[in-house]
Amino acid sequence: MTDTGRRLLRTPQGVLGLALLAALLLLCLFGGALAPYQPEAMDFAGRFAAPGARHWFGADQLGRDVLSRLLVGARSTVPLAVGATFSGAALGACLGTLSAYLGGRWDEAITRTIDAVMAVPHLLLALILVSTLGKGSLNASFAIAIAVVPSMARVTRSVALVVRRQEYVQAAIARGESGGWIVVAEMLPNVAAPVIIEATIRVAFAVMLFATLSFLGLGAQPPASEWGLMVSEARRFMHQAPWVIVAPSLAIAATAICFNLLGDGLRDALNPRDER
Amino acid sequence: MSVLEIRDYSLDYVTRDGTYHVLQDIDLAIAEGEVLGLVGESGSGKTSLAWAIMRHLPGNARELKGTLRLGDTDLCAAGSRALETIRGRRMSMVFQDPSTALNPTLTLGRQVSEVLVRHRGLSEREAWREAERALEHVELRDVPALMKRYPHQASGGEKQRVVIATAFACRPELIVFDEPTTALDVITGARILELFARLRAETGVAALYISHDLALVARVADRVAILEQGRIVEEAPADRIFRAPTQPYTRRLVAAVPRPDRRLVADQPASQAVLAADAIAVRYDRREATRNVHLDIRRGEILGVVGESGSGKSSLARALTGLAAYSGTIALDGRPVGRMDRVYRRAVQIVFQHPDSSLNPRQTVQSILARPLRLYGGDVATIPALLEAVRLPAHYARRYPHQLSGGEKQRVAIARAFAAQPELVICDEITAPLDVSVQASVVELLLSLRRQNGTAYLFITHDLNLVQQVAHRIAVMKAGEVVDLLDIEDIGRGKMHPYTRELMAAAPLPVG
Amino acid sequence: MARRRRAPPWLIGAVSGVTLAWLLRRLLTVLYTLLVVSIVVFGITQLLPADAAVTLLGENATPEALAAVRARLGLGDPAWLQYWHWLSGLLQGDFGTSMRTSQPVGPAMLTALGRSLMLGGAALVVMLVIAVPLGMFAAIRRGKAADVGAGLVSWLGVSLPEFVTATLLLIVIADRLQLLPATGYVAPGEDLADSVRHLILPVLTVSLILVAHVSRMVRSETIDVLNSDYVRAARLKGLPPRIVLLRHVLRNALLPTITIVALDVGYLLGGIIVVEEIFAIPGIGRAILVAITTRDLPSIQAGAVIMAATYALANTLADIAYVMLDKRVRYD
Repeated sequence: MTDTGRRLLRTPQGVLGLALLAALLLLCLFGGALAPYQPEAMDFAGRFAAPGARHWFGADQLGRDVLSRLLVGARSTVPLAVGATFSGAALGACLGTLSAYLGGRWDEAITRTIDAVMAVPHLLLALILVSTLGKGSLNASFAIAIAVVPSMARVTRSVALVVRRQEYVQAAIARGESGGWIVVAEMLPNVAAPVIIEATIRVAFAVMLFATLSFLGLGAQPPASEWGLMVSEARRFMHQAPWVIVAPSLAIAATAICFNLLGDGLRDALNPRDER
Repeated sequence: MSVLEIRDYSLDYVTRDGTYHVLQDIDLAIAEGEVLGLVGESGSGKTSLAWAIMRHLPGNARELKGTLRLGDTDLCAAGSRALETIRGRRMSMVFQDPSTALNPTLTLGRQVSEVLVRHRGLSEREAWREAERALEHVELRDVPALMKRYPHQASGGEKQRVVIATAFACRPELIVFDEPTTALDVITGARILELFARLRAETGVAALYISHDLALVARVADRVAILEQGRIVEEAPADRIFRAPTQPYTRRLVAAVPRPDRRLVADQPASQAVLAADAIAVRYDRREATRNVHLDIRRGEILGVVGESGSGKSSLARALTGLAAYSGTIALDGRPVGRMDRVYRRAVQIVFQHPDSSLNPRQTVQSILARPLRLYGGDVATIPALLEAVRLPAHYARRYPHQLSGGEKQRVAIARAFAAQPELVICDEITAPLDVSVQASVVELLLSLRRQNGTAYLFITHDLNLVQQVAHRIAVMKAGEVVDLLDIEDIGRGKMHPYTRELMAAAPLPVG
Repeated sequence: MARRRRAPPWLIGAVSGVTLAWLLRRLLTVLYTLLVVSIVVFGITQLLPADAAVTLLGENATPEALAAVRARLGLGDPAWLQYWHWLSGLLQGDFGTSMRTSQPVGPAMLTALGRSLMLGGAALVVMLVIAVPLGMFAAIRRGKAADVGAGLVSWLGVSLPEFVTATLLLIVIADRLQLLPATGYVAPGEDLADSVRHLILPVLTVSLILVAHVSRMVRSETIDVLNSDYVRAARLKGLPPRIVLLRHVLRNALLPTITIVALDVGYLLGGIIVVEEIFAIPGIGRAILVAITTRDLPSIQAGAVIMAATYALANTLADIAYVMLDKRVRYD
């Protein structure tokens, strides 16, 4: 693990990604403590205050401090997206590996069905799920987890197929190892690395999807200070107070960039270096 | 004046892990009409020298000193415009793998004619006709149709002839050949070499012939230079390099080259069979890989299996180890085998061809060796002894595969096979990707293990010289069938299948 | 010599690469896809705890009215029977009746689809025109300032969700600079110039993410091609760089791009939902969103199936284009 960490720090993407991740972690844990104001504290006199000494990022239509809402909003935006991605990825990975291992008709049937489900855009699938389950952050994150399963299954399957063809798997089959042992002991450790990389990059996508759902009113509900929700609420007032939109937008972008960088860095760090 | 002159040339590669001295103080000259062979193992820098001559070095290359002259032109000083007129016209290159050296989305004819348009100023139509003539000259058949085909529709030998025709098309002064027959079958490669000899005699072109195969180069070249770790250690006329090598490295190389007359195995095997395979047929989807194969391997025997790619030798190995479905019967120690149970799987082990993929990259050597020991009732404590038996230090147990060299990985694979204390080990082209000196040490290891344990080998290879050194009997496979099964004494004399004769004629024997 | 009429080479390529058998099998796959999609969507929406009749008539409706509506809509039937009714209707071209408007779903959805296709089509064209040259340029100038710059812009592009891009564009261009209208839709038939002016911002929004993603893919493919043995062989034949690029690099780098673009149609369709909502364009995305928020089941069903069909069709067209261009591939 630490070896991976060290190699991650050797790449510029890894360094930047880890730095951003650390910042996000700080925000999620201590955002409330760091916030200068209470995120729900309304101040009708200070509505639409421009960014300045009192409100570093300005105030929104109800006079709430944007910076405080931003800092607290990390907790609403990031952890659920991460959790959704990794649970969806875990499920998808099991499905993909199973399909690759079974091969033959089973593999074909599963793959075609996965492909069929992927014909529905992720956002649409998530929207339909959330509309059924009811609005809310938890349901939105559940919907995202489900939406992530098919694509992760696809990626896992193609990696597993490559691994299956390797001679060390052939050697295990020749030894007469049981199917379960081969999948767990020989295949999974080699499938895990690319899948983890892919999942990390998906987190960026999940954060964006979560924010989009909140923006459309189906994710986090007011008065939560989720970043997508902040943009949505401020849309009507974009003429008077554009900073209320810009700040959370940049926060979303920064989060997505963080996980994209991490995924890129992990790609280099997790590959066993081949000697030439 | 020499066609190519290299004086005091040194080259470095700058990487994140440090600076590699790839070539040091290289002095070479090729006279008109001369063929200079350049022999080196992997990492010797021979390919880098080719790139240096063609002025196509990677971005992290640093030329420290020295001159490269083509005739009276200083190559190092030539600008990119000048190089564009030199390349293809005054010097050209023939590459190792014709499958990747040809553009998959252009017709074969186009890839020849574009050189003619570029350097001889012909029109498209004239160039096309000229290209047809060039392809006919390299003994290709049905040329007008072939010109319109795409690379994937031609065989390896046909493609390499197209590449050669392209290289010769503008009558260059120098052609650099980078291992042109390595990616081809033995017989196809032999034909290409005959073609090269003929073209060379006709055109009088000078050539630099790069290869790892000393025996082959000694037949093709006038003089041979030996490259070790970036330095030229010896240079001599081809007929002398084998008879009287002066430098220690050259001597080692020469000693490592498989020579059929140098027999490494002196004993006779027992007469009872360890494994008897009858009417083995392996099918993949619609293709029949082996057909009606009869083989038996006697206790302690080394049975060589030779054949070109597609002959079915690997499919046979897979069938015998339960990796491919087969029809037919197999008997182990006289008892027929229905389902391959633990007894069978312990008795019959396999070592694969590619060291890079035969060891699980995420397992230590310790785990890799412990598994078969645990499965077959061995003792994990014997791992150090096992490593020692394959001439690896005991602390290698803690290493991961990517920390080992190709030869070391193959040793671990061999140790893994012997951990089961098998009666038969199937070696599927295990030395093919290795350098010749590494190959010699792996073969020596196999023979010593056999002496200690009495194991039999099914030794699959395409190298006829090697197999004649070690095998008691040789099976020759073609198109899925065993066409010949001969005792070693009968090879070369007596009745042999015409295909066996052809194979033997194609195998490059060292001169001297 | 008399000139015989020959079919154009691209047609020959297409015909020889794509057999009737393959087309038929592809059709079956597409039908299977639509079937699975409809079952999945139906299945999910069936989990609705809310009573559709109540949604339709409101909380204060009388029990008799509710019962009548339930009977009319067949809500009492088991799930599979309801699905079967819907499917058989669909096979006859009837998408059902909207619960919200009590109008047939089909015509409205298809008209909306037309508008979305215009938006999506324009976005695809804009994306291709920008992303492909950008990616190839970045690959050729790998490591240099232009590549790094393009890379940074791409990173940003894939990290901004559509609603962020749209809102930021609205603030800067429509609100502050007053260059273009903010929201709304004008049919091309009415006023072409005005129609285009209203479409610029939505098209830019949709294509930004696609440009960022596709240009990175093109760059990566082009780098692979530039490092390939055959490009090196071409250079060593003394061919000038322009010819190497046009004749040897271009085609091989573009082939995989077709597949990537086809897959990105899925992202495009998802993005259209958000973009149509923000810019108030009455396309299929907006229609689906309205259907979802009002729990209009038949419209949700229809919308999902239509989107899936569009995606499947795009992929099929891409596969056909691929076989026309790559001589190694044959479908049979």
